[in-house]
Amino acid sequence: MRVGQGVAMGNNHEVHPSGWRRWLYSTNHKDIGTMYIVLSLIAAILGGSMSGIIRLELMFPELQFIQDLQFYNVMVTGHAFLMVFFVVMPAMFGGFGNWFVPLMIGAPDMAFPRMNNISFWLLAAALILLLLSAFVQGGAGTGWTVYPPLSNADYHPGPAVDFGILSLHVAGASSILGAINFIVTILNMRAPGMTIHRMPLFVWSILVTAFLLLLAIPVLAGGLTMLLTDRNFGTTFFEVAGGGDPILWQHLFWFFGHPEVYIIIIPGFGIISQVISTFSKKPVFGYLGMAYAMVFIGVVGFVVWAHHMYTVGLDADSRAYFVGATLIIAVPTGVKIFSWLATMWGGSIEFPAPMMFACGFIFLFVVGGVTGVALANSGMDLAWHDTYFVVAHFHYVMAIAAVLAIFSGYYYWIGKMSGRQYPEKLAKIHFWLFFAGVNILFFPQHFLGMAGMPRRIPDYPDSYAGWNLVSSVGAFVAGIATLLFFFIIWKTFSSGGKVQSNQWGPGATTLEWTVDSPAPFHTHEELPVTNSHMPAE
Amino acid sequence: MFKNSINSLFLIALSGFCSSIISERAFAGGRSEPWQMWFQDAASPVMEKIIEFHNLIFVVEISIVVFVLCLMGYIILRFNAKANPEPSKTTHHTLLEVVWTAVPLLVLVVVALPSMKLLYYADKVVESEMTIKVTGNQWYWTYAYPDHGEIQFDSYMIEDKDLKEGQPRSLSVDNPVVLPSRTNIRLLFTSADVIHNWAVPSLGLKLDTVPGRINESWVHINKEGDYYGMCSELCGVRHGFMPVHIKAVPKKEFSAWVEKAKAQFSNISSGSETKVANLEKPFDKAATGILKDRKRK
Amino acid sequence: MMGTDRMLKILQRQNRNTLTAFFLFGIVLGMAGLAFSSAPLYKLFCQVTGFGGTPKTNVVRKAISKSAGVINVRFDANTNSDLPWVFKPEKQKVLVSLGEPKLAFYFAKNVGAKPVTGTASYNITPFKVAKYFSKIDCFCFVRQTLEPGKRIPMPVEFIVDPEILEDPDTAEVKTITVSYTFFPVVQNDRKKS
Repeated sequence: MRVGQGVAMGNNHEVHPSGWRRWLYSTNHKDIGTMYIVLSLIAAILGGSMSGIIRLELMFPELQFIQDLQFYNVMVTGHAFLMVFFVVMPAMFGGFGNWFVPLMIGAPDMAFPRMNNISFWLLAAALILLLLSAFVQGGAGTGWTVYPPLSNADYHPGPAVDFGILSLHVAGASSILGAINFIVTILNMRAPGMTIHRMPLFVWSILVTAFLLLLAIPVLAGGLTMLLTDRNFGTTFFEVAGGGDPILWQHLFWFFGHPEVYIIIIPGFGIISQVISTFSKKPVFGYLGMAYAMVFIGVVGFVVWAHHMYTVGLDADSRAYFVGATLIIAVPTGVKIFSWLATMWGGSIEFPAPMMFACGFIFLFVVGGVTGVALANSGMDLAWHDTYFVVAHFHYVMAIAAVLAIFSGYYYWIGKMSGRQYPEKLAKIHFWLFFAGVNILFFPQHFLGMAGMPRRIPDYPDSYAGWNLVSSVGAFVAGIATLLFFFIIWKTFSSGGKVQSNQWGPGATTLEWTVDSPAPFHTHEELPVTNSHMPAE
Repeated sequence: MFKNSINSLFLIALSGFCSSIISERAFAGGRSEPWQMWFQDAASPVMEKIIEFHNLIFVVEISIVVFVLCLMGYIILRFNAKANPEPSKTTHHTLLEVVWTAVPLLVLVVVALPSMKLLYYADKVVESEMTIKVTGNQWYWTYAYPDHGEIQFDSYMIEDKDLKEGQPRSLSVDNPVVLPSRTNIRLLFTSADVIHNWAVPSLGLKLDTVPGRINESWVHINKEGDYYGMCSELCGVRHGFMPVHIKAVPKKEFSAWVEKAKAQFSNISSGSETKVANLEKPFDKAATGILKDRKRK
Repeated sequence: MMGTDRMLKILQRQNRNTLTAFFLFGIVLGMAGLAFSSAPLYKLFCQVTGFGGTPKTNVVRKAISKSAGVINVRFDANTNSDLPWVFKPEKQKVLVSLGEPKLAFYFAKNVGAKPVTGTASYNITPFKVAKYFSKIDCFCFVRQTLEPGKRIPMPVEFIVDPEILEDPDTAEVKTITVSYTFFPVVQNDRKKS
């Protein structure tokens, strides 16, 4: 029984398993993509609730309702892990990537459909391991950075950290398999005429992301393994007492961790490029520049890691290098922002929900980008390292920006995925509510950081009370907006009208708009022939 | 609890707004104020330089954000489907692309040069008159004065219920670290357990304490006063409850304090002998690491 | 219907896909290998460059010429709280002539009830002078076992390269701090606690 091969070869397309078999044994890129999106929605509820707990605790000075301070640290840690590995990555890379990469390049499916299935279920297992980690013996209160010695057996003796490490191992394996699958698919399975320089930018973004994963995750895996053996088998890679060095962990972690933030945001670049081009009814401006800006960001992302470690005790010359290398990244990101604006320039722009989210994305990304340029300076880190300024910065530039990109992609593609129209008016309310909420939530955190409030603390000096209250109010607004989003999903599936194969009109020029909505189980069985950037036109 | 908090918050907010209205602020006393949106007042040469540099990059930041926002606003008004029904087909403009690559590069050079200057200034090694050593512990700081006999003491946060009049909550400690003002002081940092970070915003100080090695920095406190900071690296359960309190006093007063401190901390002054006193404990530390919190309460 | 041509093509593509996948998997293994070799590589890197204040240990004595300059060297001592030792420098600081070997002492005493083996980590600050600071002989190279109540001197012989004055980066440095931290030797059975 070679189910996978059967699907890839495109015969017996009437027959596919139904019921639970269809999902558990799925080798279909669309079904797997859907499962990734559902998983990310579940993780979003968990991770979002954790941030709600954090903001409730910080709403007023003094400890509010958390008496077990380890619990607070576990919330901080869990929120980060969930959002990074189980919300943003599955939604964009696993979800939209699986759904639309094969559709956009004119391939019938992914290169290795059964490996695709393994990737997904490994991630589901990793999620369960992570939840176990949060709920056994006090949980892992190490922050997502898991710095030893705090994370070693002396200071986190229970199995919680071990579960966390295993969870990341499994999630990492899932990502590596997924990355290999995407790279092979994109390199080898493009339809005739779909040259590498004709690929939609979303495909480019997934290709770059896949390479980042391929190079970064093994380093994390290596570091995690060393940490695991330090904890359990008496090795001393990161223990001074045995001749190791805890700083080495920080180097390894951030060698992975910095590319990881690009892994989160680069697929977002891809989505935003598609959306802006579609609704401006213009091809992307400076296509090659856009594609290679992502490649450049990915490459430079590997040589800037120590800018997360300016205050660890690095000599000045090393820091000077990392300042320079980090500042350079502003150039390709600038190219991207200006190219998006130039794409809109001269266009005939419509503003349905996905385009509004795309414009919101640009705003957030620019604000987070300029604070990033400021934070790149080692001198400024004497004031800002580990303060709320950093929290505000990275939420703007990658966390909330990535979430806006996901919402944008969701509204853009839900018609193709479900065959149904989302409620436009509610979606616009969703945008304004969410956009206002996150700005009220995160902008005041710049002020808190300027004034010196450290991150990851459950209580703070009374003078920080004002902006913390504002920030928490913003969190509730954003929370309500998120509930509205779930209502919109329900509404779309329960009463959304049917949509055409190309619901967005002349601006939507990529191949996914040539197939029916919802996209049938098997697509592109006859390989489409492409001879321009806009194959669907 | 929430209600109380709301009441006190209103008071804080009110006083905050009032004090910001009453002309220019007096020196804030080394900690933040309600509704503060900016840096704490600088009290060391390094912090002065940081603020100076920030004044430059802040202008750059705001200009970029305003420029992009205005551009986007204009595009939305001018090129929406109603205003511009026929989209253009332009997809390239080489000169434009060169310009928006080159101009940011130039801006970066403008930022990078003073940035390097600041970096090396903060890193320079000054002739210091004295040395103090900061050791991070879960969850308190130990201060030692190797040049002044063997003064060494621990500095714990004062619990909310024990606060006295005028002591800021969650910043006050039982034994503040006393330092002479207008003196170059060498700071050595290390840790007895996990990585902590000793930070004082108004002095531009922030450096990790790492077990098994020392880090070095320096400070010159411009004026007498109290300076507060907090641990700035997640170090476990009570990470948010190990503040730093520096009391900067004139040199003369400092000498007097040294004499007093020698007596006061004499019983535990012999450095590592302290640790010997509670030798039986450390071995069960591993098991109780994360439970210590409750013990202290 | 599908011709054999197309079947063949698809099979060829499957082969190509597998080949690419194996190549990519090789990259993954390579990166993982790099991560694992980072521990020894990092140590080597620190020793060669003085990164993180790692002093030189493999000094060639004749390469260092004498000089008129002097520099202060301070001694700092730390004991891990799991180690029942009193460990202190003999002097807080000494004045050292550049280019001349200097002998200094620390003292360690086991105040516990059992024999304990300790080992020391060390570094010097400011980091940038590490490349001019060489240890010729040091207790930190070997593990030390102390019987209860026993007090032993621990000598350190070091030399500061006069080139420290030539380097514009380090010429401003008037004081070097040498720091040791003693830890109990990690036992494989320490998990029992």
